[in-house]
Amino acid sequence: MSPLRKWCARRSVPLLLLAVCLGLMAFLSVRTQSFFSLKNVVNILEANSYRLILACGMMCVIASGAIDLSAGSILSFSAIGAAMAMRAGAPVWLAILLALALGTAMGAVNGLIIHLTRINALIITLGTSFLYRGMSLIATRGIPITKLPQGFRDFGFGDVFGMESGVTMSFLVVLVLIPFFYHMRWGAYVTALGGNPEALKRSGVSTGRYRISVFALMGALAALAGIIITARLNSAEANAGLDMEMDAICAVIMGGTALRGGSGSLLGTVIAVFLLGLIRNGLTILSVSSYYQQFITGALLLCAVAAAELRERGRRTG
Amino acid sequence: MGETILSVKGIAKRFGHIQALRDATLEVARGSITALVGDNGSGKSTLIQILSGNLLPDRGEIQVGEACCHGLTIRRAMALGIRTVYQDLALDDCKTSVENIFLGSELTRGPFLDRRAMAREARRLLEEIHVEIPDLTEPVGRLSGGQRQGLAIARALRRPGELLLLDEPTAAMGIQESHSTLRLLAGLRDRGMTLLIISHNLHQVFALADYIYVLRAGRVLTGTATGDTTVDALQEQILRREREEDRL
Amino acid sequence: MKRTCALLLALAMVLSLAACGGTTADTTAPVSDTPAPQSEAPATETPAPETEEPAGMSETVQQLYAEFDAAMEEQIGPMPENYGDVKVGAVIISLTNAFWANMKDYYEAAAAEYGIDLDVQTGTTEGDTASQLDVLMTMADMDYDVIIVSPIDGTNLIPGIVKCNENGIKVINLGPGVDEEALADAGGYLDAKITVQFEEQGETVANDMIARLPEGGQVAILAGLAGAGQSEGRTAGAQAVLEAAEGIELVAVQNCDWDATLAYDATKDLLTEYPELKGIFCCNDTMALAAVEALASEGRNDVLVYGVDFTDDARAAIEAGTMTGSMSYSSERYTKAALQMAIMLNEGETFESNVYLPLTLVTVDNVNDLEGWR
Repeated sequence: MSPLRKWCARRSVPLLLLAVCLGLMAFLSVRTQSFFSLKNVVNILEANSYRLILACGMMCVIASGAIDLSAGSILSFSAIGAAMAMRAGAPVWLAILLALALGTAMGAVNGLIIHLTRINALIITLGTSFLYRGMSLIATRGIPITKLPQGFRDFGFGDVFGMESGVTMSFLVVLVLIPFFYHMRWGAYVTALGGNPEALKRSGVSTGRYRISVFALMGALAALAGIIITARLNSAEANAGLDMEMDAICAVIMGGTALRGGSGSLLGTVIAVFLLGLIRNGLTILSVSSYYQQFITGALLLCAVAAAELRERGRRTG
Repeated sequence: MGETILSVKGIAKRFGHIQALRDATLEVARGSITALVGDNGSGKSTLIQILSGNLLPDRGEIQVGEACCHGLTIRRAMALGIRTVYQDLALDDCKTSVENIFLGSELTRGPFLDRRAMAREARRLLEEIHVEIPDLTEPVGRLSGGQRQGLAIARALRRPGELLLLDEPTAAMGIQESHSTLRLLAGLRDRGMTLLIISHNLHQVFALADYIYVLRAGRVLTGTATGDTTVDALQEQILRREREEDRL
Repeated sequence: MKRTCALLLALAMVLSLAACGGTTADTTAPVSDTPAPQSEAPATETPAPETEEPAGMSETVQQLYAEFDAAMEEQIGPMPENYGDVKVGAVIISLTNAFWANMKDYYEAAAAEYGIDLDVQTGTTEGDTASQLDVLMTMADMDYDVIIVSPIDGTNLIPGIVKCNENGIKVINLGPGVDEEALADAGGYLDAKITVQFEEQGETVANDMIARLPEGGQVAILAGLAGAGQSEGRTAGAQAVLEAAEGIELVAVQNCDWDATLAYDATKDLLTEYPELKGIFCCNDTMALAAVEALASEGRNDVLVYGVDFTDDARAAIEAGTMTGSMSYSSERYTKAALQMAIMLNEGETFESNVYLPLTLVTVDNVNDLEGWR
């Protein structure tokens, strides 16, 4: 096999998604005038910046053979922590650091519990998702914290390169993750946790450190997404990020990362987030009822997973 | 018998109601192939788990070279130069051959993985032990049993040290692959390595090992030089369990 | 027949009067030039407690609609005879909620009637503030002339409204209010606002209650969740009217958090403490129906119970006579008025102050005439 064909074969799912993306873009640009404007591209990037950040974290967690159902709750609680700190007079930078620290800590707690108890991550994070969401509700009594300082809004919503700052942040997250995930020990060990944790342990690597760190990263990224959402909406609320972890999981799986872990595709995740954003945007532009959005998302997810599975089976037998 | 590299004294291990090991005592001479034979449930695997640092014994003593201790952790065992090839091989099927060989001991340049150097080194290692894997960048899940065994051995050889533990190296392998694996092991001895092999295949053991220990019901019964015994005599010792148990 | 008309006319006058009062109190627009057209209507004119002869069903509703339209025209002005093409977008709260799913249908019917272009959009699920904003952000870059927004909460659509302002798209706020202070901080503004006034709902009920209690007596209010806008507004409106009335004694205002069980228990406690209780105003129908249950279990049928929302269950209770009345408004006219405002904004007209939807009190007297009320 030529190197090019091999490269393509290994990335068949992302490439397939890319093809769907391009097809959809072509269709939308023919059908509507407003689609192929720079403004609309910026719209799509802006609306999906925090989704991309969450999905990147989720990709690492899934590659490590786990899952995090508490990401949306972490997002909400860390944003509420920052908002409360600012209400109490804390400077903006401190509030942002606090949000990131809270997110990291909550994620680390997930990882620690999973490492110590060896109970399935699905169960543990289901539990902590209620726990963290409950903390948000208790802290706010269900009432959104609004009217946040301008400095905070500028950080998460300000103009950077003519776009909302979230876009730049999401790109930075991807750029930083590439070396960590693909070219450093951290990524090798995180994926080994998904592939064969026993092998990793027998190689003399402390698995707990990587289990905790991957969940802590997810928590920190959820907090960053929470900062962006809160700055955009100018309101920190207990319901923020509800079900957002599901969107993230959907994008990661659609992007070709297997739920059983062992490997992950950052490229596929990025393309899948973009594709899902494109669908939302296209439906809005075409004025199609949001009823169809979930249907289409589900159908696409099933197709992507089926394609990946069939390819894998073909390889095994062929 | 040459200089002793590993000596195990009175190791005992209990899991709940089951006494897996009662009194395991054996010695391994430098540069030799020592085999540990026994039926299923005789405690072979427990002993390997203890020697590789995966389990702590309840009692007993392990001496490796100059160092003497009661139990080992995985890291400590590695530091003492004990390298283990597990029965399940402990390979990550999602990773490539190169990545598996270097799992836990990656070559790096600064903070980054040095993939090129690792690929070069992996190719050299595999060539040295005559294991043929055409594409080192394919996930190992698709390789044959012999190739996977070769990879696991190559990974063990990557680590410093001269004592190699092998747990059932030819289990679930075809005849041809078994033979090449055995040749590979003999080749390692010729290069000065010390091997401790666990197996239940007496014929293979007989062809390969210099010393043979029989393990029965958690006890090491005898240690004999291969030349001083026969397959039938060993068989007899292993199978006498039932009667002996009755008497006990 | 004549008397029914008189009653409704009087009712409408009282309502619009209350609306005007509310406008001056509430508006954030610098100048409130809402005329007080009904100032000649004497405030003492209260609805007659009973009607003799029920009017034909469609006629009553037609009459109500006529009153409605008249009151709206008072605030909005007449529908322009000729108007140019206008493309309107509406961002509503959710399609998974029956109320808003109906609103979408009413919007589309109204747009068809006016012959204008309309798209109704929404976030994915109720409460998904972020995706509702995404939808508005996308629409702000499209070729809409006017966008009508109904935000999930006070702040979530603000960046989108600011973007509409920048792109020259007119913005109307329908229903749940945008936090105008936060909007102004973000550098944005609303071109118009049409909503229901919660104070007015409380005032109307209180007035009807007073009219039905010529001899006075003890009354109570069961409020919703403390701090919720609807609850606070309705309670304040009713409280002001009741406390000012001769012979009426407001003995309790209790928060029951929109919850039926809490309202049931509270009603029982009230009856124990104030056996002479004559009337209860509940801030929604769920609590009112619970109060009705509690009264029935005590064998009482002499206490007036009012609610808000005019749900199907409340309608049945009012028809059965166990509940006295419930506040209602026409969702159909709501959307029509909003679209009319959109057309007028596009024609260059402006709305200096908020538009409040005329409200209707449905009571045991007129409930049978409201077949076809939407």
